[in-house]
Amino acid sequence: MKIIGFAALAVLIAGSAVAQQLAPSPTLDAVKARGHIECGVHLGLPGFSFANDKGEWSGLDVDYCKALAAAVLGDSTKVKYTPTSVQQRWPVLTSGQVDLLARNTTITFSRNATLGVNFQGINFYEGQTFVVRTKAKVAAVKDLADGTICVAAGSTEEKAAADWFRERNLKVTIINFQKNDDAISAYDQERCDAYTAGVGALAGQRIKFKDPAQHQILTEVISNDPQGPTTRWGDERWQLVVRWVLNAQIAAEALGVTSKNVDEMKKSTNAEVRRLLGVDGKFGDMMGISNDWAYNLIKQVGNYGESFERTVGMGSVLKLKRGQNELWTKGGLLFTPPFQ
Amino acid sequence: MTKVPWVETLRQRLFATWWDTAITLVCLYIVWRISVPLFHWLLLDANWSGTSREDCKSPGACWVFVRMRFGQFMYGQYPVPERWRVDLVGILLVMSVAALSWRRSLVIPALIVLPPLGVWLLHGGWGTGLRVVETREWGGLMLTLFLAIYAGLIAIPLGILLALGRRSRLPLIRFASVVFIEFWRGVPIITVIFLASLLLPLIMPTGFDVDRLARAVIGLAFVIAAYMAEAVRGGLQALPEGQTEAAQALGLGYWRIQRLIVLPQALRIALPAMTNEFIALFKNTTLVLIVSIFDLLGIAQAALADPAWVGMNMEAYVFAGAIYWFACFGLSQWSRLREKRLQVAHGR
Repeated sequence: MKIIGFAALAVLIAGSAVAQQLAPSPTLDAVKARGHIECGVHLGLPGFSFANDKGEWSGLDVDYCKALAAAVLGDSTKVKYTPTSVQQRWPVLTSGQVDLLARNTTITFSRNATLGVNFQGINFYEGQTFVVRTKAKVAAVKDLADGTICVAAGSTEEKAAADWFRERNLKVTIINFQKNDDAISAYDQERCDAYTAGVGALAGQRIKFKDPAQHQILTEVISNDPQGPTTRWGDERWQLVVRWVLNAQIAAEALGVTSKNVDEMKKSTNAEVRRLLGVDGKFGDMMGISNDWAYNLIKQVGNYGESFERTVGMGSVLKLKRGQNELWTKGGLLFTPPFQ
Repeated sequence: MTKVPWVETLRQRLFATWWDTAITLVCLYIVWRISVPLFHWLLLDANWSGTSREDCKSPGACWVFVRMRFGQFMYGQYPVPERWRVDLVGILLVMSVAALSWRRSLVIPALIVLPPLGVWLLHGGWGTGLRVVETREWGGLMLTLFLAIYAGLIAIPLGILLALGRRSRLPLIRFASVVFIEFWRGVPIITVIFLASLLLPLIMPTGFDVDRLARAVIGLAFVIAAYMAEAVRGGLQALPEGQTEAAQALGLGYWRIQRLIVLPQALRIALPAMTNEFIALFKNTTLVLIVSIFDLLGIAQAALADPAWVGMNMEAYVFAGAIYWFACFGLSQWSRLREKRLQVAHGR
């Protein structure tokens, strides 16, 4: 017994000595050994994760996976996507079949506290909003007062919309339909002024209308459903990498670093830019990945804004406005702690 | 007045009284009202040429979508340069089915050689010199057929053994068979697939990983085997006990009695029920979508998430539905043909 005790003590001491430099990270070691990241994505959601005619994945969440691969392995193509259904997303993550989830999943307290998963930041502020006809001159949700809204009966959206207007003493007529599709087609046939759902869902829905240009999605939201990359409990160093890759995407936009100017920006005099791009400091080394991790991800995938515009924003068919997903300096909620 | 035979038949069957005439006309009107717009949507007003949704200008179906996605519907994400391997396996399958129907003696060797050969070709690696194509890249119709055929290949022999086991005189074997059948028959397929794909990795030691697709195949096979066993048992029970007794009197052993006397007759009786189970299996393969394996239906749904093709729901489901229907119809026709041939053999 004593010998085992001494051996355990020795391992403990040796372990803590290493820990002062780098905490062990089985996930990161496994990623480097197998040479690709296993990313759990949505089965198919327009703008967020989908495969095109050639079978190539793209979307906002897929872009995050690519950025992570660029940061960790130096190559944004070294990702394998595991589409996950609603039912299997948590077990797939906690059983280790994927390294992380980057799939539209709302961050909530009870999930964080009970499912053995950690949320590493927010890459999309989802929330319930309204699609209206552009000719209706509706700029904010309160402008819908005295109007009509089509909803599916008994949905969470119906309740949230009714509550929102009641709390503000505004009158609104809510028309209930059996199914979502019925509510949508009623809106399309101008039987009501608005249809309500989450931002992401409405973006996909809007392009199904006969003339999408005649409809707009309000940027104001009446619910709070943030989404972001998710890891399982344990392996703090992997969590660190996942969290700061997202922060790097946001910081790059805030600092004006894009995929096009990233090479020039290496000569920047801004201290934070220099640290981010690995010119000064050893931020990559501290996480146990290459020091030009952020350079690689910006060069290959781009900053958050580039990614947003390309996948769901104005550069895509979805044409979503930034809204809450704008930088905190520009009136949005997107925020990153400093690279210091 | 000369009577044209078919006019006369029509008159007798459809226009015998004014009441019959009214019903016939109403039915004809309904059929007309449904089929004309359908025909327009499916064919006349449909869009066939082009490469994007912008090319779909007329109000009918946008078959451009199906054409552009056809490769994925058939092969999933199977890499394009390697797709000949799937075609080759398909050709081998058709040829072996054709060959087996005139050479019965080849059935057993073929069943031992061909299925591993198929997996070997599709997967690659293992000394073939072919590029490894992971099962996660498989998809579409090819995956649907793979699931149905391989689950069927396990389920049919297992089902026969279970049916024999359930009628065995040895209590242990009988008990084990009953437990197996009742357990797998009592669990919904969707639960089995879910457990096979999610629970197994949690309880298995790390590093020991059974392929995701293999787990789904085995899960499906066990459930279908339980159903097959009951279909076969129905056939076994239809045979008079005297046949077995007569064979025993001749001095035949258990396995020879089953192989030469009981099973050939029992399977002939059970064939329609077994075909039924197999068709059910074929359609149940779509349930693997719950564990994110993209079969034909799954890949069609996934295609709808591409913003370039959002809103093509009708086209996707009509196309997938048509393929399922043709496959199932083909299967039942094949089964009826077998039944007829067996009837002829029986009559002799």
